Amino acid sequence: MPTIVSIVLGALGMWLLLPRPSLRGRLAGAALAAAAAGLLAGQLPGLAAALDQALFSILAAVTVASAAAAVSLKNPVYCAIWFAMTVLGTAGLFLLQGAQFLAVATIVVYAGAIVVTFLFVLMLAEPGARAAYDRLSWEAMLSAVGGAMLIGVLSTVVGGLLAGGPAGAAAARGEAELAAGVLQDGHVAALGRAMFTDYWIAVQAGGLLLLAALVGAAAIVSGGRSPAAPEADPRPPEDQPPAEEH
Amino acid sequence: MYLVIESLIKIVVIIGGLMGAAAYLVLVERRVAAWIQDRRGPNRVGIPLTEIRLFGLGQPIADGVKFIFKEEFVPGHVDRLLYVAAPMVMFIAAIVLFAAIPFGTVDLGIAGWAPINLVVAPGLDVGIIYIFAVSSIAVYGVLLGSWASNNKYAFFGGVRSAAQLISYEIPLGVAILGVVLATGSLRLEAIVEAQAATGVWNVATQPLGLLVFLVASFAESGRLPFDLAESEQELVGGFHTEYSGIKLMMYLVAEYLHMIAGSFLIVLLFFGGWHFWGLTGDGPVAGIGVALVRIAVFLAKVLAVILFFMIARWSWPRFRFDQLMGLAWKVMLPLGLVNLVAVAVWIEYLRTPLVAAGLPEGLVMAVAGWLLLGVAGLAATAAAPSARDNRPDRSLVARYRDAREAR
Amino acid sequence: MKSDDKSIRWVEEPPLGLAGRSYLPLLVGGMTTTLKHLVGPKMTVESPEQRHAIVDPLGYRGVHRLNRDAQGRVKCVACFLCATACPAHCIDIQAAESPWPDREKYPESFTIDELRCIFCGMCEEACPVDAIELTSLYDLSGKSREEMIFDKAKLLSVYDQTKDAEPMRSAQADLAADAARPDSGRRGEEPT
Repeated sequence: MPTIVSIVLGALGMWLLLPRPSLRGRLAGAALAAAAAGLLAGQLPGLAAALDQALFSILAAVTVASAAAAVSLKNPVYCAIWFAMTVLGTAGLFLLQGAQFLAVATIVVYAGAIVVTFLFVLMLAEPGARAAYDRLSWEAMLSAVGGAMLIGVLSTVVGGLLAGGPAGAAAARGEAELAAGVLQDGHVAALGRAMFTDYWIAVQAGGLLLLAALVGAAAIVSGGRSPAAPEADPRPPEDQPPAEEH
Repeated sequence: MYLVIESLIKIVVIIGGLMGAAAYLVLVERRVAAWIQDRRGPNRVGIPLTEIRLFGLGQPIADGVKFIFKEEFVPGHVDRLLYVAAPMVMFIAAIVLFAAIPFGTVDLGIAGWAPINLVVAPGLDVGIIYIFAVSSIAVYGVLLGSWASNNKYAFFGGVRSAAQLISYEIPLGVAILGVVLATGSLRLEAIVEAQAATGVWNVATQPLGLLVFLVASFAESGRLPFDLAESEQELVGGFHTEYSGIKLMMYLVAEYLHMIAGSFLIVLLFFGGWHFWGLTGDGPVAGIGVALVRIAVFLAKVLAVILFFMIARWSWPRFRFDQLMGLAWKVMLPLGLVNLVAVAVWIEYLRTPLVAAGLPEGLVMAVAGWLLLGVAGLAATAAAPSARDNRPDRSLVARYRDAREAR
Repeated sequence: MKSDDKSIRWVEEPPLGLAGRSYLPLLVGGMTTTLKHLVGPKMTVESPEQRHAIVDPLGYRGVHRLNRDAQGRVKCVACFLCATACPAHCIDIQAAESPWPDREKYPESFTIDELRCIFCGMCEEACPVDAIELTSLYDLSGKSREEMIFDKAKLLSVYDQTKDAEPMRSAQADLAADAARPDSGRRGEEPT
């Protein structure tokens, strides 16, 4: 049925497009032809998979490129923006895998809060971003080597998983679990249940860590002073008015 | 394939509708503002080259044409790339937000057609958090635009705005969580359907949540009394001081869209979405006629909330920045947490025994919710730092006059 | 004077009560005012169709006119007092010998640049014979600068247009004198 529709549309569009004595309707013809081509392309087997693959490649390329830009650019504000772009790309990759909650939570927490705070501090501290300590990498060699080692370890492990090594069985089981529930409708409920049953210790530990950080921040801000230090009154005590009734 | 076409149609309809709505809401706002100031507002522009005025309905088109044909001036001292990109970021984030706004589900009654869910992204299981996430991206538009402008007033506006948006996201999220907990789903459709099924809107059961959400969404949309980011009296125009022409229009429309989105969310979360007693039915799927009534009811409610936004703008003065931050962290966040804990306690411990005892659930929840609002509001007031009443005090003036005359 | 001076009396604003701290009365008060004005009467005068009601046309300072006397001649005696008084230097008078026996000079040409004029009314105050007056015409507009330079003929035609609605001030003063009002001294009244 869609095939027939698209063929008819295509014929109509082609007729309008072909050079006839009157040139009216060529734009409409082009639109019709494009629609027909799209409809026909939709009939192609394996198109969805190819699109998925293409989308993945684009998102991955964007993520990696912006990650590289985030560490290599000189202007710290641009670095922070590219970091945000990396986070968005990662969220897109999550979304492509069907992990909606993870994707959205990544955006809320990282792009929406943490990177914005980075930007905020960067702009406040050094609006022009011209100081040498902002523009230069401190431990270039160490960073490069450390990053390379991390990538090496990770790719070895992930490669081992894909090859079906000792961890392969676990990965397969994980995928079965994914297929069974986590990506279905209502996967948020499944995720929440998992977090607060199977992984509750990890969640509580993470919460505790954040609480400790919060307490530390409050301690640093107050500088050891009592927060409710009364302000000095410039007046001599006998001049202070009695509490006026009103 | 049909899914793609269906989505495209939905996208076109919602973007077209939004752009038209934004344009005409500007007119509505100008008229309402004028009425509040005892004026009449723009009522002249009608059909061009004729004398027909149509109550000024041509004004938005004239405004749009003016914006488009204005010189797009880019100051020499700006950071080109970010200066151009920032309004786009804000605009796109504001539009993408509407992908998760549900208008109900319609059954066309044609054999072989599944009921159509009138939302651009029907498969989105995280609905409300998605909106939350996208709206948090809008901060970038403000922050980058202000920084790229390389102007101290713009920068002040941007920094204020960033601090304000980040701070108020927290009470906003906590207020949403109360509703989500009561419904048991993040999907906005499910939240509306739950309210429609019981006939008890969340405003009755969670007034405290509504209070927190209302204040936070005012702050998130950056309108008075929370428009510190662009307070004209202090900062020229705030973060968009250096913008002109179509870029400025993008900023202004994006801000409008944020207000519209806030109104949609308030209606969806607290005022029953498309539901109205005796008018729209209460099942999730509707026929064409009922679906149209539902959309009309929904849009009417949203318009009412938007009008509230507009009237509030002229009623209350702008907050000072420390008051703004104090309100977010010391008042709204605790109130939101109280609401959240109360909802959790209700669901976990109180609902089952009370319902088993034969009490009407909605009534009990409503009474409890308003009691909670009263108690928590009173507590927050009592805990508020003591302030001075700096309104002109007539009795004091009289007292001093008497004292002077006595001398 | 130091802050601890004995003669300073410190006055504190009274502390806000519980109701004030909850913002509620203020919020309700603000909203009430807004709603009252939202539905209240509107002040706008829809200008070309509706005209401003000018309460006191004789006191209004709009477009100038040159008055005529009973025989229809220009009243001006070309004494230059108005041109001298004018702070904007917008009055230009060419005097010539009068063809009439009752005065020595008359203005051969009398032009006012309405674009330079600041409508202060000093010319009206200065005039000894009540020849120049400001009318209550306020919507003055033109398509070129030249059009806005009013010559004698135009200023006299303004008088012809407005004489019925706004009689000459000297006539007013006579009326006032007849009524023996002690405060009949309007602006523009002849000083004697």
